[in-house]
Amino acid sequence: MSTLEKSRATFVPGPDRLRFSGVLRSEFIKLTSLRSTIGLLLAIPLFGLAVSAALGLTLEDAGLPGQASVGFMLDQVTIGTVLFGQLIAGVLGVLVISSEYSSGTIQSTLIAVPTRLSVLAAKAVVLFLTVTASALVALFGSWALTYPMFERFGIEIGLSEPGVLMALVGGAVYVGLSAILGLGIGALLRAVAAGVATVISVILLLPIVLSVLPASQLVRNVHLLSMSKAGDAMSSAAEFDGGFLNLANGYVSSAAGWLVAAVWAGAFLVLGAIRLRRGDA
Amino acid sequence: MITAQALVKQYGNKVAVDSIDFTVRPGQVTGFLGPNGAGKSTTMRMIVGLDKPTSGRTEVNGRPYREHRAPLREVGVLLDAKAANGGRSAYKHLLAIAATHGIGAARVKEVIGLAGLDSVAGKRVGGFSLGMGQRLGIATALLGDPATIILDEPVNGLDPEGVRWVRTLMRNLAAEGRTVLLSSHLMSEMAQTADRLIVIGRGRILADDPIADVISGATRSVTRVRTHESERLMATIAGPGVVVSVLADGAIEVSGLTAEQVAVAASTAGIVLHEIASMSGSLEEAYIALTAGEVEYRSSSAAGTGAHK
Repeated sequence: MSTLEKSRATFVPGPDRLRFSGVLRSEFIKLTSLRSTIGLLLAIPLFGLAVSAALGLTLEDAGLPGQASVGFMLDQVTIGTVLFGQLIAGVLGVLVISSEYSSGTIQSTLIAVPTRLSVLAAKAVVLFLTVTASALVALFGSWALTYPMFERFGIEIGLSEPGVLMALVGGAVYVGLSAILGLGIGALLRAVAAGVATVISVILLLPIVLSVLPASQLVRNVHLLSMSKAGDAMSSAAEFDGGFLNLANGYVSSAAGWLVAAVWAGAFLVLGAIRLRRGDA
Repeated sequence: MITAQALVKQYGNKVAVDSIDFTVRPGQVTGFLGPNGAGKSTTMRMIVGLDKPTSGRTEVNGRPYREHRAPLREVGVLLDAKAANGGRSAYKHLLAIAATHGIGAARVKEVIGLAGLDSVAGKRVGGFSLGMGQRLGIATALLGDPATIILDEPVNGLDPEGVRWVRTLMRNLAAEGRTVLLSSHLMSEMAQTADRLIVIGRGRILADDPIADVISGATRSVTRVRTHESERLMATIAGPGVVVSVLADGAIEVSGLTAEQVAVAASTAGIVLHEIASMSGSLEEAYIALTAGEVEYRSSSAAGTGAHK
């Protein structure tokens, strides 16, 4: 490896400068150049399709509805993607930033982008778009995969039925927001293990813990406003007019679900941004 | 050009950098020396905005690092050899950093060639040796063709050819008019590479001078003489300010007189000299003398042997 004879060009100020579009490109290259992150992106449709296929194949044992039901179909089609997808996306979100701290990449990243916040913003944009796209593939794929299975019993539901399209898109956006929640937690804690444990606690354990607590109105309200409850709401079609949000009845509309999930994800992202902006890297 | 003004960094009660001022000028290689924990890395991290100063400020090329429109084109930095994800290839790592500034793949391939990484560019960084990691770090620092280069321990783990490459590269970069700040614990390497030295100990600046001045200021020069008539020579040259000591092998070390003065005195007295040489101090001696008492982490064997304390 002889490098002695190689000299370098004299310094010439070039036109290149730091731009947000460049930071976006940088984050996309990072996300797609690691086996672990690509694996997690692929795992969302993989788990989503597998669970839908398994449910579709065992439709008869599940107790069929008397007639074609949008609610029944959506339950079968979205549960795999939403349930597994929220956890996979949350873990991916944590990894995207905390692995930079564990590997030391964050140093190179922040030296290139010393304003710091645009790094987090670019990560959020790239992560949300790729994860949501991945979940869209999972959800529409699941619908297409199980359509013939439903058709066998004459209970198939087309995409044009009211609420179906919105529920599938809502489910995908929810999985995308779970990734943002993970990103915020990762930026806040900076450690892979602590971040993963926290994101699983917020998404999965919080509702379980709340459900075993004495059912006071406060506990019920918190439960209704939890991240995973928002996911249920976003991936369902409203079948009656229950309004926007009715805590007394325990009703959360899809629109309220979008808002609640966005607030959860946004709150953690802001906390992560504050930690990133302040103090030492 | 790098400047620091009244720069302070405190971690809790511990003062890592204690109000230091310095200027690193373009066109020369400035060495940054100090014991472990003296505050070198912390200072370098503050220059590029990774750590925030408790008080005081640093500027690079006339403004704080984070206010530059194209930071990578202003400053190239190597702080840790392996500041890259082990699962990513060297090429993708560099490409991702370059993308932030719209620097193209052509420049990425150029620095890979420059650092001698062509054969391993597509391999994952996790399998790299320390030396390969250093080369990747230096390639990263050169990406933006920066006017200022800051390297922390760049020759750590490099093979002799790599050490020589870094030395030549630093000299060439300085000759092109760039600012080069370099830290290293290898004194012989520093003596060959640096024009100027900043020596820091316990967060304070101990010396900030051209390398020759640092050495002459912290070590004494002696004249070594060998003759059969030691006694007579010592009597001849004795005088105020002249200190003479006899070494175990019979040679005499004279301080306070130059070799020329000793030779003239001997000649006048008719004493035949078999050997006469000026011995000047090395950078290592100067460094040890400067940092004595400033060393925070001393190995116990070195501290234990001294009965004096």
